[in-house]
Amino acid sequence: MSDGNYAHGDYTGDGKALFWLALRTGLLTLFTLGIYRFWAKTRVRRYIWTSSRLDGSRFEYTGTGLEKFLGFLMAVVFLAVYLGLIQIVLFYFGLTIFAAPQTPEQALAQTAGVSVSALALMPFIFFAIYRARRYKLARTRWRGIRFGMDKDAWGYAFRAIGYWLLTLVSLGLLTPLMTFRLEKYMTDRTWFGDARFDQQGRWTALYGKMKHIFVGLALIALGVLAAALAAQSGPLLGVLSALAIPVGVVWFVIGVISYRVQSFAYLAQNKMLSGKVAFHAHPSTKTVILTYILGSIVLGICLSVATGIFGGIVAMTLSGIDFETMNGQFQPGMILPAIITVAGYLLTLTAAQAGALAAITQPILKHYVQTITVINLPALAEIQQRDADQGADAEGFADALDIGGAI
Amino acid sequence: MKGDAHLYDGRSAARHAVHVELSRDLQALVITGEALPEPLVWPLPDLRALGDHADDSQIVLARHRETEDESLRDPARLVVEDPEMVAWLRRTRPRLNRKDLRTGTGRRIALRLGGALAAVALMLFVILPALANTLAGLLPLEKEIAFGRSVKAQMERFLGATEVGALDCDEPDGQAALDRMVARLTEGQDLDYPLEVSVIDHKMMNAFAAPGGQIVVVRGLLDKADGPDMVAAVLAHEIGHVVHRDPTRHALRSAGSVGLLGLVFGDFTGGAAMVFLAERLINASYSQSAEAEADAYAHEALLAAGLPPSALGDMFETFRAEFGDREGPMAHFASHPQLSARIAAARAATPEGLPDRPVLDAAEWQALKTICDGRG
Repeated sequence: MSDGNYAHGDYTGDGKALFWLALRTGLLTLFTLGIYRFWAKTRVRRYIWTSSRLDGSRFEYTGTGLEKFLGFLMAVVFLAVYLGLIQIVLFYFGLTIFAAPQTPEQALAQTAGVSVSALALMPFIFFAIYRARRYKLARTRWRGIRFGMDKDAWGYAFRAIGYWLLTLVSLGLLTPLMTFRLEKYMTDRTWFGDARFDQQGRWTALYGKMKHIFVGLALIALGVLAAALAAQSGPLLGVLSALAIPVGVVWFVIGVISYRVQSFAYLAQNKMLSGKVAFHAHPSTKTVILTYILGSIVLGICLSVATGIFGGIVAMTLSGIDFETMNGQFQPGMILPAIITVAGYLLTLTAAQAGALAAITQPILKHYVQTITVINLPALAEIQQRDADQGADAEGFADALDIGGAI
Repeated sequence: MKGDAHLYDGRSAARHAVHVELSRDLQALVITGEALPEPLVWPLPDLRALGDHADDSQIVLARHRETEDESLRDPARLVVEDPEMVAWLRRTRPRLNRKDLRTGTGRRIALRLGGALAAVALMLFVILPALANTLAGLLPLEKEIAFGRSVKAQMERFLGATEVGALDCDEPDGQAALDRMVARLTEGQDLDYPLEVSVIDHKMMNAFAAPGGQIVVVRGLLDKADGPDMVAAVLAHEIGHVVHRDPTRHALRSAGSVGLLGLVFGDFTGGAAMVFLAERLINASYSQSAEAEADAYAHEALLAAGLPPSALGDMFETFRAEFGDREGPMAHFASHPQLSARIAAARAATPEGLPDRPVLDAAEWQALKTICDGRG
């Protein structure tokens, strides 16, 4: 859809087609002991990218499973050695300083020493997040032109740690500052061909998007206060607290989702491409939540049917065995039901992942794509190609650390 | 064969309407259009379609070319939507979906794979075990004992106890007999820990050592043993584990290797099963040598207490009659060495003419065998 000057995003992906693709690649992953997962993710991305259309042109994903596999192997070498060395050093200091904790304080310090090894992974996690986004952009093309991102993953990792600490210290009050600055850091380093993106807007504007979080918190606080007073001033306040706390918790959860959706919208609306092309985004929090709930219900029903069928088959094959007399011993008659149980479990899990992708992730993505508008299309035609990016680890760090989600 | 299509030239984001037809010699596609100063010629053997495309009604063509790109493709794209042309391409161009690999890809895969395997193996077989040994030696005693209690509680829950101590057997006469047995085995020895030996009521034929000097004998073992010496032999073996701090080292090492294996196998369905199997295999190689050392310890301790090490062999004989021995490839997954080898070792360690001095007299042995009778 376009009138020559602006165009809405368009998503043509089909649930059934994506489900079968994800199921086929998921089974291949199972049979190859996990090695195919890099190819599986690549193929699912190709499908999703080419399902997205802007002004009549489909996006393209050019990544390959092989480069992801090689990048993962590289990341494993780094992480295995790094983890090993960091653990030796931490153990050495942790144990020589506090050999036997005599006081609670020393025991606390020792516990803190152990959690440092988890913290030692944090820079790598943020590093991997930036690298993964850079890789995905470097492998995305529209009208044959590459997207891309500058090589600044360590700068991102240090800033991310800083903003996280600020957010923690401020008890979450500075969340908008973190959301805005980190997104700005990435957006300002993002390119489409030779045109650079620019994140505009103000971080304080994101406080408005947090309002439902504040309402939820206020309700919970009210409920707790009422519960404290109920002991003295009667049952009415007790009823009030019993009502306000659960409502407040649900409101808070919806508020968190709303913040994520609406802060994305605000940040998208305030992006510019080379000072000429603007964007509009108006995703609806209600649609996102309802899509999620609906998809979960459909998936839940399908899963219970599948579990019922497999359970029935296992029960049938087991019906000939007398458990009273077998005395914990192995019986050959148990091999078949055991195989069916394990195979059924793995198959159901693979199907559940494919189903979640097709019934939840894709419809939500579709909603996001369809509510984006690009303004000033003629300026896009002037954008020129950029050089290829080798992609370094091809998000191998993100794969090794299991971050990055379904797609 | 001819029709209309769209071209993205790979240099600018402009969309060009073009006309495509087969060249006169039938060897290439000739692309003409207003925006093109001269026709483009794409040889048919070079044509590739983009895979996993969401729209079946169109084909996006690219040319195969030696480039620095992630895949060997020229950046220009030709989007064909004309149904006849799409059908013609699918029918006549079998190379359309060919995967092209850069030369030297095999060598790169081998190099990276070798490097990753070497790093992981170094961690799993050198660094983590060394770390576990150091740590087991450094762990404060009271922490190790507390850890051992929680391991024992876990085992009891696994055997069906609803609360801690619910399965403990504590008939006073039986307990006294057990204490006598332990005293005779450890006489004159300086153990790092206070031993805590207990019997739990379950028909399983087993005994195990938990960290911190905890030894648990399961009642099934008492039922199947032919005499007190056989029980004493098993106890000596478990005391060997305690002395060598095997349970603690084992727990520390597997905590590390499970984390590392999780990194390798990742978050795919069935990944947890892979981690479990791999951990089992790695563990078996360590645990088999630990078992052999505990056997050797048991032989010495039994001799020192004036008891025949062959009693351990007799006990293994009972195990073998009950469960059979593990042969072939499965033996690598087993946590214990083959029983026949252990029986032979126990027999070989027994000198001729050892005086017959049973560890318990008939009444004490009867008390030990009925240690669980007081329970509900």
